[in-house]
Amino acid sequence: MRPVALAFALLAFSLSTAAEAMGNAENGKAKAAQVCAACHGPDGAKPTAPDQPILAGQHYDYLVRALSDYKTGKRANPVMKVFASPLSKQEIEDLAAWFARQKSNLHFQR
Amino acid sequence: MSNRLRDLVLGMACMLALGANVALAQKKQAKKNPKPAAALAQQPAYVGDPKKAHNRIAMCEGCHGIPDYKTAYPQVYHVPMLGGQQEAYIAAALHAYKSGQRSHPSMRGIAASLSDEAIADLAAYYAGGLK
Repeated sequence: MRPVALAFALLAFSLSTAAEAMGNAENGKAKAAQVCAACHGPDGAKPTAPDQPILAGQHYDYLVRALSDYKTGKRANPVMKVFASPLSKQEIEDLAAWFARQKSNLHFQR
Repeated sequence: MSNRLRDLVLGMACMLALGANVALAQKKQAKKNPKPAAALAQQPAYVGDPKKAHNRIAMCEGCHGIPDYKTAYPQVYHVPMLGGQQEAYIAAALHAYKSGQRSHPSMRGIAASLSDEAIADLAAYYAGGLK
């Protein structure tokens, strides 16, 4: 029983530290202005087309996942592939950190 | 010109004037409200009804209805927040899961069961059609 509890505690700890290890939002802001703003809006809250997602306020790790999958092609989107491919892992984390901290109408809904 | 002929010409002139008037009125109406004509010309697109999504969100709640819920497979990360997201984007995402263009196993399974109308209803629901 003890080792199981310990394993869970370790897992919980590693998850919480992983969540804290975010990219650099300020670097992300500069990158976003160059790469993302034209379609998603300067802080990701006002996309220019209805089928483009709001990024502002989205979960950090979901944004990292999405950009990483666009980069590898696992998530197939010809437009996002072009923008995500040149991004390094660090740049992806920086962008996600920036967008996750911006405000929008995005909210939790059951 | 006989009286009969004159009446006939007058009558035709009246009908022409009436016809022109009706055409003008229709034109005005079309200008005022151009949408119905455009909608008739194309296949009318189904508009998502957030109320109809209520029967379906049970499928979504298990993950998207739990604050800070993380999916554990294939990777661990927060499932995206859907409330307030763009309607057309949510619909596009569900269609992409349905077609296999997006690959998350759970989402593929769920989206495969959805009709185009159900996808439109869910997109309208999460986009904020129902507060």
